[in-house]
Amino acid sequence: MTANHTELLSALVDGELQGQELDKALQLLNNNELTREQLQRYQFASDVLHGNTHDNQRIDLSASVAQALDKEPVYSDKTKENVKASVIVLPKQFWQQAAGLAMAASIGALAVVGVVSQPQNQLVPIRTVANEVPVETTTVATTGNRWTVGEAEVADRLNTYLVDHNEYAGASDVFSYARVVSYEAGQ
Amino acid sequence: MRIFVQLVLVLSLTLLATASFAESEAMKVLERMGVAAKQLSYEGVFAYQTGKNLQSIRIIHRADEQGEVERLVSLNGSAREVIRTNDLVTCIFPEGKRVHVNRRPLGRGFPSDLLRRLDSATPYYEVVMGQDGRVADRQAAELIIKPIDSYRYGFRLWVDKKSDLLLKSELLAENGNVLETFAFSMIELNKTIPDSLLQPQISGKEMTWNRTEPETGINMATKQNVSKWQIAWLPEGFSLVAQQNRLKANNGASVEQRVYSDGLSSVSIFIEKIRARHSHLHGGSTMGAVNAFGTILSAHFVTVVGEVPAKTVEKVGASISYKGDSEQ
Repeated sequence: MTANHTELLSALVDGELQGQELDKALQLLNNNELTREQLQRYQFASDVLHGNTHDNQRIDLSASVAQALDKEPVYSDKTKENVKASVIVLPKQFWQQAAGLAMAASIGALAVVGVVSQPQNQLVPIRTVANEVPVETTTVATTGNRWTVGEAEVADRLNTYLVDHNEYAGASDVFSYARVVSYEAGQ
Repeated sequence: MRIFVQLVLVLSLTLLATASFAESEAMKVLERMGVAAKQLSYEGVFAYQTGKNLQSIRIIHRADEQGEVERLVSLNGSAREVIRTNDLVTCIFPEGKRVHVNRRPLGRGFPSDLLRRLDSATPYYEVVMGQDGRVADRQAAELIIKPIDSYRYGFRLWVDKKSDLLLKSELLAENGNVLETFAFSMIELNKTIPDSLLQPQISGKEMTWNRTEPETGINMATKQNVSKWQIAWLPEGFSLVAQQNRLKANNGASVEQRVYSDGLSSVSIFIEKIRARHSHLHGGSTMGAVNAFGTILSAHFVTVVGEVPAKTVEKVGASISYKGDSEQ
């Protein structure tokens, strides 16, 4: 399949073809099995982007990405509070799909696989490389009005402690219980 | 040459005296602010901002011969409330249908004992007057409070020039970033506050009530109750200012709370015996400018909570050890 054919398919998915170009694309689909498969992939990618997928068509990459992340050692540098970027090893299947998506010009934006800058304050437990240094947890403050914990039980206990601690709050006594009132529920 | 030296000396002394006067004036404002918070009746709305979160809160505070009563109501989202009376703190969370009632520590009124604490805080902060400003349509004097090290936060406070009430407060990180802001958008002072304004919006029916009762209050003057725990490190200037044991009514657990403060910043250490299989905080967590550090030691949940940097609670938490029945 040539680059021209790829562009033609991309334009077809986007509904941008008319006249001769449309005829050419349809003819290509008639005659070429590979083209039909490619069209299906583009169509699916387009549906994903536009939220038109059905439950049975969902592909959840989070599990495989998480699995890959688990296998990937994370190096911590306590002098840096701002984690700017991390290189993530993704499964081969993921790259195949990402490459396919990137070829469709209209959906090029999706091809940018993020370099995510962590919020400066986000609490990040940083695992050190196994067998090198004892496991440590580095804490960096996060912004937000809920505890950065995963379990409701732990958050509840911290809230109870917070109420008791407020009795001895600092210079902002007048406002100290605002933290309790503002606490976001629905962990 | 002698004249030049004398001139330099005079100038230095003048500058020193001016700085000292400015700090003295700032401390006076801070003291008056502490008194005003306890003695004024007012109603207003203030914003609480941390990170990208902004919350509007209504506050009603009444001070009279009966003591103080205060009610805070969240104006966004669920109508969470906190009602403080002389001896109780009631927290109402409508979304979870829960009410937490905590009895206040024995022998204490409202928590604002800023006056008592200011003297001890002086060596660890530089307190100076800033520029006058306007908050909630009122003229305010700005106070800038800078810590001497990175184990505590700094503050910028705006105090009402007429009433001395705190109108705006910013909690500042070491790099100057604002971690939390509290600021009145409107306030009415010295108004008569009826009882009805201090009543909760919800009836309490269909709510789960959790009560925490004080088991023992500890007289800090005599320190009769000796803890079985040792804290090997605290930021300079932090000392034990309160200690109490509480009994959680919902699970019968006894929780020891030890409060350490330098006068303006404080950390609480909570020690709770593990009575069943429960989850607990391992490492750090944070909410706004409040940081917590948790660990498990000798079958106890040990948690450090405070409006201090994460590294402070972490370092305090890592220095805690169980020393059994021997006296600290």
